Amino acid sequence: MKKKSIGIQKATYYNRLQKQGYIFILPTLLLFSIFLIYPMLDAFRLSLYEWNFTGSPLYIGLRNFIKLFTTKRFWSSYSVTLQFTFLSVFLLMFISFWLSLAFTSKLCWFKQLYQSMVFLPVVLPMVAIAVVWKFMFQSTGLLSVVFLDIFGWNIPWLTSTKIAPYTMVLVNVWKFTGYYMVMFIAGLLNIPDVYHEAAKIDGAGFWRRLIHITLPLLKNTIILVFVSCAIFSFGTFALQYVMTGGGPSRSTEVLTLLIYKEAFEYTKFGYSAAISVMFFLTLFIFSIIQLKIFSSEAEI
Amino acid sequence: MAAIVLNLVLLIIGIIYLIPFIWMVLSSFKLNADVLSIPIKILPRTWNFQSYPNALNYAGYNFPRYFLNSFIVLVFAVLLCLFLSTTAGYGFAKYKFKNNKLLFIIVMSTLMIPFEAIVIPLFLLVTRLNLQDTYLALIIPGGLTAFGVFLMRQFFYSIPDEIIEAARIDGATEWQIFRRVSMPLAKTAVLSLAILHGQWVWNLLLWPLVVISKPDMRTLPQGISLFSGVYFTPYPEQLAISVLACLPTLILFIFLSRNFMEGVALTGLKT
Repeated sequence: MKKKSIGIQKATYYNRLQKQGYIFILPTLLLFSIFLIYPMLDAFRLSLYEWNFTGSPLYIGLRNFIKLFTTKRFWSSYSVTLQFTFLSVFLLMFISFWLSLAFTSKLCWFKQLYQSMVFLPVVLPMVAIAVVWKFMFQSTGLLSVVFLDIFGWNIPWLTSTKIAPYTMVLVNVWKFTGYYMVMFIAGLLNIPDVYHEAAKIDGAGFWRRLIHITLPLLKNTIILVFVSCAIFSFGTFALQYVMTGGGPSRSTEVLTLLIYKEAFEYTKFGYSAAISVMFFLTLFIFSIIQLKIFSSEAEI
Repeated sequence: MAAIVLNLVLLIIGIIYLIPFIWMVLSSFKLNADVLSIPIKILPRTWNFQSYPNALNYAGYNFPRYFLNSFIVLVFAVLLCLFLSTTAGYGFAKYKFKNNKLLFIIVMSTLMIPFEAIVIPLFLLVTRLNLQDTYLALIIPGGLTAFGVFLMRQFFYSIPDEIIEAARIDGATEWQIFRRVSMPLAKTAVLSLAILHGQWVWNLLLWPLVVISKPDMRTLPQGISLFSGVYFTPYPEQLAISVLACLPTLILFIFLSRNFMEGVALTGLKT
């Protein structure tokens, strides 16, 4: 009898102790709810209204979305963003993967040095380097002149609607190669050497080891790089804002820029919120994959 | 032979990645007319050291103030991020309260909210709270990251429960255990998170553009993006400010390049 009551006391004491965990997570729950979750829900609500910020909001149902789907400017911006994202993801993954292989190879002499050189753009503020590239792309800027002198190409980097979108991708790739390279390197270093050693003894060459050992074991890293790269690139803003402002002729007007302009230049808050909702929904699938990877890592 | 070719190629690639940076630094010391002159001069024809004081005292802009603003926001946003991430991470990892998993999933689900998609409602919220043109408006949203919570939860999970139990038996309160026992073990993880998150905060542009309209409250990226001359473009001055904006992260990077890369590697997880 006595033993049992001690047991209960112990249990309640233990339970009370565990409840103190709520105090630890309370600030996070509170701030995340107010400043992240509520605004996200509010974006959905706002997208159903017409509102110029000063007057009172007018409920218009899905008309913002109907207008959105029938407006050329939105579709043009959407496809500009998608194109930017696809090209960035493809090039970034391709280049950073091969660099990470090279930097983990035994043939590489100055790993630290090379890695730091490629990684440097990652640590520089986007706005600052966008200014630099903007100058280098002027008609008498460094890059324009170099391409004219060496290849004889006169490239209108920022003034042609055909070329400016690719120029954006170029700068983006330069800026973030180091980031994904480091993620790949971390993944590669996690592959135990013995696998490669064993395959070598069995006579497997470089390509066979790449396809049958490296790539399968790197699967999770590849997915994560893909997803995070897609999400990052889709949300690009500073690059276009500083270098082109969306021009020429809106050829680089990405969605974030459109969201910003519709709300703060044309004060169409409801319409802008509708674009935000489309932005969120497009990334939803990628976000779900990312969340899945994180939760499997956390073993929930 | 293969090694020589490989290293040569890698060196060239590395230099290509450095060129814009080198050009920025050298050109910030050129005269305005020389920055974009043909034929191209790599080194400044005459060294123009005046561009730096010029830029800092440029009429219509207050760059020292923007630096200060960005610095204040950086420090407090990172501190907020570290406070929230470590406490919540610890709470989720070390306490078995009801709905632990559910609440953790709710926190993690905010990873799916792209900041760009909530800028408008967040602006409205901040306006209603009367916080526009304040540091708080920049600091609070700048301090929230579900990834930080995730990272710290993972870390504290790996600390054995026995250490905490032992401290309890010694009569320490839960907060004391967190501060004196658990936190000291988390030093490297905290440093990596601080660096990773600090870069993000130092880079923020869209949010300040939306929420700050008073010139004196501008952040540095905002100031740079708005910086232009009235009658001509002050090329060396704009580059000088860019160099100055790069300096803090650059200096940190030189001393802590390890931690920078570790921070990024952490986002890749140990899969």
